[in-house]
Amino acid sequence: MRELTYAEALREAMRMAMEKDPTVFVIGEDIGVYGGAFGVTAGLFDQFGADRIIDTPISEAGIAGACVGAAVTGMHPIGEIQFSDFVVLSMEQLTLQAAKMRFMFGGKATVPLVMRLAGGSGTGAAAQHSESLEALFMNTPGLKVVMPSSPQDAKGLLLASIYDNNPIIFIEHKLLYKTKGPVPEEWYTTPLGKSHVVREGKDLTIVATSMEVTRSQQAADELAKEGIELEIIDPCTLRPLDLDPIVNSVKKTGKLLIVHEAVKMGGFGGEVAAEIAESEAFAYLDAPIRRLAGLDMPIPYNRNLEYHAVPQVENIVEEARKLVKGAY
Amino acid sequence: MKEVIMPKFGFTQEDSEIVEWAVKDGDKVEQGDVLAVVTTDKVTMEVEAPESGIVAGIQYKVGDVVLVTKVIAYILKPGETLPAELQAGASKAAAAPAPAVPAALPQAAAPVAANAVKLTPVASRVAAEKGLDTSSIVGSGPNGKITRADVEQFAQTVSNNGNGRIPATPAAKRLAREQSVELKQVPATGPNHRVQAADVLSFVEKNAATVAVPAVQGLAPVQSGTIRTIPFSGMRKTIALNMARSAQTIPAIQLEIDVDMEAMLALHQKAKTRAGEKKVSLTALIVNIVAWALVRNPMLNSQLGETEISLLPDVNIGMAVAIEGGLIVPVIHNADKKGILELAGEINDVSARARQNKLKGNDLDGATFTISNLGMFGIDRFTAIINPPQVGILAISGLKKQFVPDASGAPVLHSLMNMRLSADHRVVDGVVAAQFLADLRRGFESPEEMLL
Amino acid sequence: MVQEKTEKLIGGVFTKDKSLQLIDTMLLVRSFEENAEEMYALGKIHGTMHLSIGQEGVAVGTASALLPKHDYLLNTHRGHGHFLAWGGDLNRMMAEFMGREAGYCRGRGGSMHIADVESNNLGAQGIVAGNLPISVGVGLSIKARKSDQIVLCIFGDGASNEGAFHESLNMASIWNLPVIYLCENNFYGMSMAIKKSTKIQHISERAAAYGMPGVTVDGNDVLAVYEAMKTAAEYTRSGKGPYLVEAETYRWKGHSKSDKQAYRTRDEVKEWMAKDPIARFAKVVGLNEEGLEQHKLMAREKIKQAVEFASASPEPDVKDILDGVYA
Repeated sequence: MRELTYAEALREAMRMAMEKDPTVFVIGEDIGVYGGAFGVTAGLFDQFGADRIIDTPISEAGIAGACVGAAVTGMHPIGEIQFSDFVVLSMEQLTLQAAKMRFMFGGKATVPLVMRLAGGSGTGAAAQHSESLEALFMNTPGLKVVMPSSPQDAKGLLLASIYDNNPIIFIEHKLLYKTKGPVPEEWYTTPLGKSHVVREGKDLTIVATSMEVTRSQQAADELAKEGIELEIIDPCTLRPLDLDPIVNSVKKTGKLLIVHEAVKMGGFGGEVAAEIAESEAFAYLDAPIRRLAGLDMPIPYNRNLEYHAVPQVENIVEEARKLVKGAY
Repeated sequence: MKEVIMPKFGFTQEDSEIVEWAVKDGDKVEQGDVLAVVTTDKVTMEVEAPESGIVAGIQYKVGDVVLVTKVIAYILKPGETLPAELQAGASKAAAAPAPAVPAALPQAAAPVAANAVKLTPVASRVAAEKGLDTSSIVGSGPNGKITRADVEQFAQTVSNNGNGRIPATPAAKRLAREQSVELKQVPATGPNHRVQAADVLSFVEKNAATVAVPAVQGLAPVQSGTIRTIPFSGMRKTIALNMARSAQTIPAIQLEIDVDMEAMLALHQKAKTRAGEKKVSLTALIVNIVAWALVRNPMLNSQLGETEISLLPDVNIGMAVAIEGGLIVPVIHNADKKGILELAGEINDVSARARQNKLKGNDLDGATFTISNLGMFGIDRFTAIINPPQVGILAISGLKKQFVPDASGAPVLHSLMNMRLSADHRVVDGVVAAQFLADLRRGFESPEEMLL
Repeated sequence: MVQEKTEKLIGGVFTKDKSLQLIDTMLLVRSFEENAEEMYALGKIHGTMHLSIGQEGVAVGTASALLPKHDYLLNTHRGHGHFLAWGGDLNRMMAEFMGREAGYCRGRGGSMHIADVESNNLGAQGIVAGNLPISVGVGLSIKARKSDQIVLCIFGDGASNEGAFHESLNMASIWNLPVIYLCENNFYGMSMAIKKSTKIQHISERAAAYGMPGVTVDGNDVLAVYEAMKTAAEYTRSGKGPYLVEAETYRWKGHSKSDKQAYRTRDEVKEWMAKDPIARFAKVVGLNEEGLEQHKLMAREKIKQAVEFASASPEPDVKDILDGVYA
């Protein structure tokens, strides 16, 4: 199968959707001639023009509101927030309008928007340009939260998101944009709300999101040399969360480690841990549930500090090994 | 130069074990400083420096048992040196002969027999003092010896779990329940004496080996047909282990009564009419009356612990049900609070589910007393094996028509049923067991008495 | 067929019949609001409500200049009047107020969130200025479909100080979106007088910042409102871009039910009550007090029937509590 980068996969999804459906358009800052801060929309302006690749002033609330208004009147807008950190300027439109309109209006409005966010650390962009903010949206019913971890998932999940009739927060990782992977050429959708078991193993269940899926795979390769087999599950969609594969996995391994870049407190890891503790997998736990997460701090500028502020491969290796060997 | 002798603390004390040295040769000490910690069978004491000076010539090491008044070290004045013949090792001969040690120690009250060799003497004493069951302590000393520190840490863990709960992972608890293993018997290897799943599994395996289960070697050499084998594992094995353990450890007494069931059969008819289409088995009536009798005889509804017998407030009756491959005991919770029709419904439901293998954890948990019924096979009488931690089990046999004397002495044909109680004699005395059966008989033969 | 008698148009715009209709609508709005207040006081409606008594002229003048249900309505929290003027069904509105299943939002939205998406009424708004960014999206949608619809985006003087106001008007202007930004300036946010909250005194002045036309009109003069909105509608419908209309008016009641109105004087309120839009238009139309009273009674009767309908209407079923969260 041919390989695309994560960015190319996203672009292909948007291009295919726009070619097929005139109601799809992209709106955001510097996405036109500039091609987007991370080059994701490069070339789309030339193909589709200013009416469908809409450059905006620096107005995140406006961008989000534009998506809401367009979506509720029959369009399929894709908004781009240049750095996920800026999404807080859109929060009102996303959480008070997009998330709630359908419910408030008695089920009679549909808001099929996708808000793409470029998140994550590792580029030296420092505290206000490196956050992982999925937790902000996990607490809002009415929204869906998606985090693709590979080029193949990026395309499939984006196409699925565009045609899901709900407002979707689609969180990409900056470090993933240039990574390559096999991507089918045809139109395909990766179903939302389904967790993927991306690696099987008997000793420990790892639930990881976004960039941490890649890091977990590397950790698993290393630990395999010691005879430790990790099972890795990528939820893909954080809200709504497909818990069953995780429950079944924990029943098999008896041990669970959740890895995400976002800060531990109030994070996705705590949610998964509580869900598992409430599930039938509880009676199969043979060790405490552990979480590896970003340190409780803003992302620092210094490269080495930035590196150590979020879970890296060696952290996963160490924690997994400790869990498997009964240190906890 | 001043001698430091092993002090005599008690009138009858003959020796002490050195638990810890607080100093080493060459250390400067003030008068009164602690030099060593020593212990006897009764008490731990500190040996103080009789004078200020420099420690020299320590004669014994930790663990040595030394006769009282023997020199264990010297305090030198600055400038003094120790004569060569007094250097450490020279007085080894003064150490007490080993056999004196066990005689000075009391027998541990708790069942430490299995671990007696594995405990250090001090550990053994401390454990006995605290009344701890050491069988599940994993030792950290050489060759797995359980040290005083191990015992004290274990005691701390036990006391931290105020109500005597054993720390165990959820998986370990589930396996313990499934394998009918008591968590407190399982040596724990997890952090803070936590029982891990593997601990339960290895305990089960180990005990499988120690329970006298005959191996198949030495089978009669000539068999004309092919030998069929049934796997000895899973439920079959679990039941076997439990039975063996029960039979080996519980001193059981059996008492029986032949109950005149005429009144009960009449009541059964009435109940069936009342229930209409719903099935009301005789079992429902039996459970109802047994529950009533248990409420009046709480000793039969109890559990034996380390230091106390717990009289349990809930009457949860387990009913042994035969299923494919063995036996299962679903539990009717709070049987004393349910009427006959309600019991009948519950019994029907749980029996059906037992046969379909659809019982849930809650169905099998918490039995405080068990009824085993082989009546349907025409058994006259039998003895059932107690299911620990319960203290009693009632074996019910079949209805038999027999001639009994009526009020005037003339023979009349009545249906009788034998009920034989097996009770744990550590908890249930003969009289107590008899009282229970007397109540039971009254309940069956004159049910109206239950209302009085 | 030549008309024998050329009917003199009221204000050169409306026939007498149409004018009476407008009066009826205004009276309906007022009765609705007065009734809502009464029901609230009696404990029959819970939560809160934002009454527009005194602002009826803006609602009616505006709706008559546009194409309700064809054009889009982005309403405010003080939007009952606009909804009714837009052609809202009285029964369904009342049912929504009383939290019933038959309400516009199946009882899930309440006063602040009443919407009728099928009629292009994209809802009242619980967030001040929350509808402004949405107007941008609706405008983009209209342009993409090359439709002749326009968006009526209503907000108050307070909302014009929200950041979203700036972003939205800016975006609407750079993309020439067909949006009429209608500012109902009633001189107070909740308790803060515009004198204190805003340096300029006419919101319409802000239009210049975005290169769009801006006008201020007497909101209590139905004809003036109509004329201004007519001009704005022609402008935006022709694709020239957005237009800002500021209608000066006054709310007779407090901001919401729990407002003690310590921030303004009774005299001021009385002063504005004397400029009652209904009385003024009735005069223009030539309806005397007696006639007006008759029309009032008719309006009250309609309200009464709506209340009966809503009161008899069933409550939502708790079993359906999660309906409508996700599509």
